[in-house]
Amino acid sequence: MIAKKRVWVGIFTLSIALILAGVAYGALGDRTLSQGSRGPEVTELQKRLASLGYVVGKVDGIYGTKTKAAITRFQRERGLKVDGMAGTQTIKELKLMTGNSTNASGKSVGPKNVDINLLARCVSAEARGEPYVGQVAVAAVLLNRLEDPAFPNTIADIIYQPLAFSSVADGQINMAPTSSAVKAAQEAVSGVDPTGGAIYFFNPAKTKNKFIWSRPQIMQIGNHMFTR
Amino acid sequence: MRNLWIGILGTAFVLSLAWGFTEYRQADQYEKVSVNQYQRSLRDLASNLDQLETDLAKGRVAATSSQKVLYLGQAGTISESAVKDLAQLPAEENGLSYISEFLNRTGDFTRSLAYQISVGHTPTAEEDKTLTDVHERLLTVNQNVQDLVQRVDTEGLAWVDNPSIWTRVAGFWQTETAEAAAAAADGPASSVRSGLDQLNASLQKLPPFSYVGEYESRSVREPLALPKQEVDKDVALKAAKSFLSKMGYPTTELEFSGVSQGALGVYIFKQGNLFMTVSKRGGKVINYRDQREFSERTLSPDQAKEKVAQTLKALEWDLVLTSTEDYGGYLQLEYVQDENGVRYYPDKLRITVALDNGQIIGYDSTPYYAYHQKRNFTKKLTLEQAKTKLRKGFQIKENRMAVIPVMGNREVMAYEFRGKYQDEEYLVYINAGSGIEERIQRIIKTPKGEYLQ
Repeated sequence: MIAKKRVWVGIFTLSIALILAGVAYGALGDRTLSQGSRGPEVTELQKRLASLGYVVGKVDGIYGTKTKAAITRFQRERGLKVDGMAGTQTIKELKLMTGNSTNASGKSVGPKNVDINLLARCVSAEARGEPYVGQVAVAAVLLNRLEDPAFPNTIADIIYQPLAFSSVADGQINMAPTSSAVKAAQEAVSGVDPTGGAIYFFNPAKTKNKFIWSRPQIMQIGNHMFTR
Repeated sequence: MRNLWIGILGTAFVLSLAWGFTEYRQADQYEKVSVNQYQRSLRDLASNLDQLETDLAKGRVAATSSQKVLYLGQAGTISESAVKDLAQLPAEENGLSYISEFLNRTGDFTRSLAYQISVGHTPTAEEDKTLTDVHERLLTVNQNVQDLVQRVDTEGLAWVDNPSIWTRVAGFWQTETAEAAAAAADGPASSVRSGLDQLNASLQKLPPFSYVGEYESRSVREPLALPKQEVDKDVALKAAKSFLSKMGYPTTELEFSGVSQGALGVYIFKQGNLFMTVSKRGGKVINYRDQREFSERTLSPDQAKEKVAQTLKALEWDLVLTSTEDYGGYLQLEYVQDENGVRYYPDKLRITVALDNGQIIGYDSTPYYAYHQKRNFTKKLTLEQAKTKLRKGFQIKENRMAVIPVMGNREVMAYEFRGKYQDEEYLVYINAGSGIEERIQRIIKTPKGEYLQ
């Protein structure tokens, strides 16, 4: 009888432990994550940060110094309270930026940002270190090509056209985009185009290519000349 | 001692041979992969061109509008596939832009013609002639590409002209690659790339065919809302300063930093993190950007919108807010012209506002100045008549009058119906003159706000 009771106590304790473990590894946003936190929520946090261009190193489910640095930068760039911890407000903001879209009846239709990510990687590889307006302009050039008959008709076709971008040839396009490139890509997709219709850009200090110099120039932003 | 050295050198030699061989084999494999991709793209291109050419021929002869729409619509889709194939073939930096342009315009023309026929238009003699012209040009393009494929098959024609060993060595010192000498040369092409370059050059010489289509809608051709008269730099600077002071910025260090050319030419000004442009024609602020970092936010989205409304009033804008996207630290807003209950969607102003202090940090009035003008539309349908044009089962939630841009760089006045059909929500536009269903937009709810597809 006593033995039986012990078994019941054992089962009870085990189930409590399991429930607690389930709570501890709940959904992202259930608890504040900070340096030292581990688990699937941290993995999700890292993935969302990385998709917005905040470098977290390896996505390993461990809230280390890199993740903390990424959260800090995210908070600073978004006008949040800067404390390096992923609390309710920070995670809410992250979900706002990376959540899925739905149709009118609430069915998920995916995050709808496939093109924005590729666009941002190209902006990041081609215009890292340029002023923000210059980054929006580079994204706008890519989008203007969509509307121009001399170019292919999808973002991927435009970016991967052989020799169109040096960053594709040297592989820089495969690097994670910077957060400002992601922002610039979003802004250009919303329709902003500081160049008023440019379809090429180049660095006058580095290029001798006759073709590109022969294009009608529109304006220079940062180190890039934008042309028609 | 000597034997030891011979041993070390011998081993090193064997190792380097093995290393070289592996590298060689790997390079060989990579080359095969890319050649296979070229093969596939070229053959896809050839068969798509073949199909496109056939569809154009059938579209020319079809008598009923349903058949015409079918073939022309098909031609539109296939021309896009052909452009995709072309974009994967080896080319110069400036690409095979004339071939691409010809194919894209062919698709644009056939698609818009198919659309017009589908809404009851009969092709004019001029449109018939354009279709014939396009078909004839395509016959030549198709012939050229088929020839290249045949030469790849029978002669093993190279993909690119292999530069001689001397050119390659010279390439170590020179960063610029040699210009493609074969580009405009006559005679049979020495590689697929030079063959395509020749075709590209030959299309460049032909005059463009004329039609009304969708292209060039993004770049501004003629800013309709700006006066013809240009202002000088000082007037523009004054306008920029007045704009900044109304936005709540000091303007002491605003400096001129260049001009831009083109239809919407501007003066560019800078001040620290600020970048702004003022149109030469009329001296209006076109673009403005504060590239500063944000401080901690203090305002709710509604409070920020209220502040924007005040600033816009000070800048003498009288527009209505039609779209809000919440990016957390900032909002992206869209305002349009609204007159007597009619929304003019082309006349748009884009605003970005920061939630730390409610300052406008992004301002883009390009669409407004590009498209705003006095319009003359006549409304023939009543609201009740327009409602009968909607699909059965479409539940209307809201409706209003609107002017929207449509295919072929035109604008129409339409009834805008927002409503639900089964489990999706839409905006449906019914032309207020002709009763044609002009446009359908699907409404998606993103975490940032509503989004139209």
